Amino acid sequence: MEVSALPISPTNKEKLISAGYTNLASLVIVSPIRLSRELQISVQEASNIIKVTLQCSGAVGLDGRHVVLRGAQTAWEMFSDEQNLKHISTGSEDFDGILGGGIHCGEVTEVGGVPGIGKTQLGIQLGVNVQIPIVYGGLGSKAIYIDTEGSFMPERAYQIAEACIMDTLESFRFHRKGAEDCHERMQPNYFLANILYFRICSYTEQIAVINNLNKIVVEQKDVKIVIIDSISFHFRQDFEDMALRTRVLKELSQTLMKLAKKFTLAVVVMNQVTTKRTDGSFQLTLALGDTWSHSCTNRVILHWDGNDRRAYVEKSPSLPQASASFSVTGKGIRNAISHSKRVRMM
Amino acid sequence: MNSSGPTRALSTFQSQGPPWMNGVELLDDALRNKRFLPTGCEGLDTLLGGGLRQGHLTELVGPSASGKTQICLYVASYVAVKHFGSIVFFDTSNSFSPNRVASMINQICEPVHKEVFFETFLTVLFIFKIPTHAQRQERWIMKIMNSIHCQSVFDIFSLHDALHELESTLMKKTISEDKKICMLIVDSVSSLITPILGSKDSQGHSLMVSSGYLLKKLAHEWNLAILVINHMVSGERGTTKPAMGESWKCIPHVRLQLSRSPGSRICSISLLRHTSMVSRSEFIPFFDCFITLILGYFRYLIALQNTIQRFLF
Repeated sequence: MEVSALPISPTNKEKLISAGYTNLASLVIVSPIRLSRELQISVQEASNIIKVTLQCSGAVGLDGRHVVLRGAQTAWEMFSDEQNLKHISTGSEDFDGILGGGIHCGEVTEVGGVPGIGKTQLGIQLGVNVQIPIVYGGLGSKAIYIDTEGSFMPERAYQIAEACIMDTLESFRFHRKGAEDCHERMQPNYFLANILYFRICSYTEQIAVINNLNKIVVEQKDVKIVIIDSISFHFRQDFEDMALRTRVLKELSQTLMKLAKKFTLAVVVMNQVTTKRTDGSFQLTLALGDTWSHSCTNRVILHWDGNDRRAYVEKSPSLPQASASFSVTGKGIRNAISHSKRVRMM
Repeated sequence: MNSSGPTRALSTFQSQGPPWMNGVELLDDALRNKRFLPTGCEGLDTLLGGGLRQGHLTELVGPSASGKTQICLYVASYVAVKHFGSIVFFDTSNSFSPNRVASMINQICEPVHKEVFFETFLTVLFIFKIPTHAQRQERWIMKIMNSIHCQSVFDIFSLHDALHELESTLMKKTISEDKKICMLIVDSVSSLITPILGSKDSQGHSLMVSSGYLLKKLAHEWNLAILVINHMVSGERGTTKPAMGESWKCIPHVRLQLSRSPGSRICSISLLRHTSMVSRSEFIPFFDCFITLILGYFRYLIALQNTIQRFLF
């Protein structure tokens, strides 16, 4: 910040600049007496200038407390904020358990897995679950769904929404306090109307939409989850310059991080798998390379274990590595039931 | 005031140059102000000869999910618990988890807790109001967590802004002695630099180098121990190497590499580079020390393999 932007009289500004005080950093360390001598003004006036400078540079907050950085929060403030945060349920208690209660708001979570494991199902389920009204223990917010693969099925979303409403009403059968008000909200059509869907057909569109999300979230006010299914599809098709791809993707991930932090919303990014050669053998890993693997706060891998679907928390700053089984049923993502076996088409 | 313009300009110009220091003063400064901040993790402390040194830029590299953020959070909690001063944490990937910090503080504070209990006991005697154990604990954790400041930074320009702002805060000396900032953690610096590095124009490259030097300047002038996180990229023949290339390589004073075999809870840390190793000189033959002085630095390629207990749960 420049001295010329300070809310002081033009004469003093001129005196400051001609005395060599051009930036605020030089002004805050000087004593009022020295300043008054150099500018040939009264000590009172000089100390006023310093006070104004301190306020403008953010050293003294409005309550007079000294802060280290303007945008910074102390760990305790963040801790108290996090206590009040709600998590978005995946629909399966076991899955929520390993995630520490569900998908965290304010973080970017990457979900990867082989085709057919249920990534899109999880995406739709989260888009529906985020809308469960607050009286029923949900977040009562909207979802943004960015579809790059064309795999979002509205009929399936309707089905999942219907099942979600039924299950929610079932578990809240006995305490109906305040529930009457949101009766009209508990309709599948209402749920579907609050999923904002983007169909993306190229990586240019994908970059444009992600950069535009900030504006959309501000306009829509109440978005608590952004689902991108999948981030990697277009970037794996026709991108020749791999170094450029790394840079573009990293920038996208930083944009998403910023969005997640600013609006405390959850970003869920789906990713495909690829084979990687390590020590002479081929292993399945998530696509988009090593640099991308650092780009998300949490990483969850969905995989097959015999006939069961399992979710594995591979990395997270706050959670231990753990795995849990889940199943994809007609109602959506639910706890694994032992008798539900995958029908193998041979 | 009444001297002519050019003379004034010249004198201002001359006064900009830093004054010289002699070796004794430097040594004195190093001994007095450049303390080793213990990280609380024995293996790491032995490897570094006491901990992270104030005035040094330490870099921690490692593949995804190797425990880099966990080390950052642990070091921050430990330094806060031991009251060395305030910590500033620049978070680029929303990975500063206050919950995890709280539980780490709880873990670390158990041995300390008795004296705190005694302290509170004394104050209680005079106030005649006995807070419950939980309240005491919470108040204590609050005090510690308030000395960790976390700022989200999502691009290189906001990192520069934040660093300049930090510098002016440090200049103001408005912070009391016990709250003095002693450590800066950037998790991770590579997330900010990767989007701008590698295109044809050299702007990204110069931004990277200038942020490196800004960090080093802050470390030197304000006696901060700086810890930055870098990630690994694949190099030739399927090997991995630290990201950000050769020109970043010469910026940090100390370079540490973390590795962890998949599924295991033990991670090992090795020293890739150390500029001084003053406290270690007794372990190295004299000839090596001499070489060290000539080369300025030496590489300790996995010479010291220290296995540290992973802090995870």
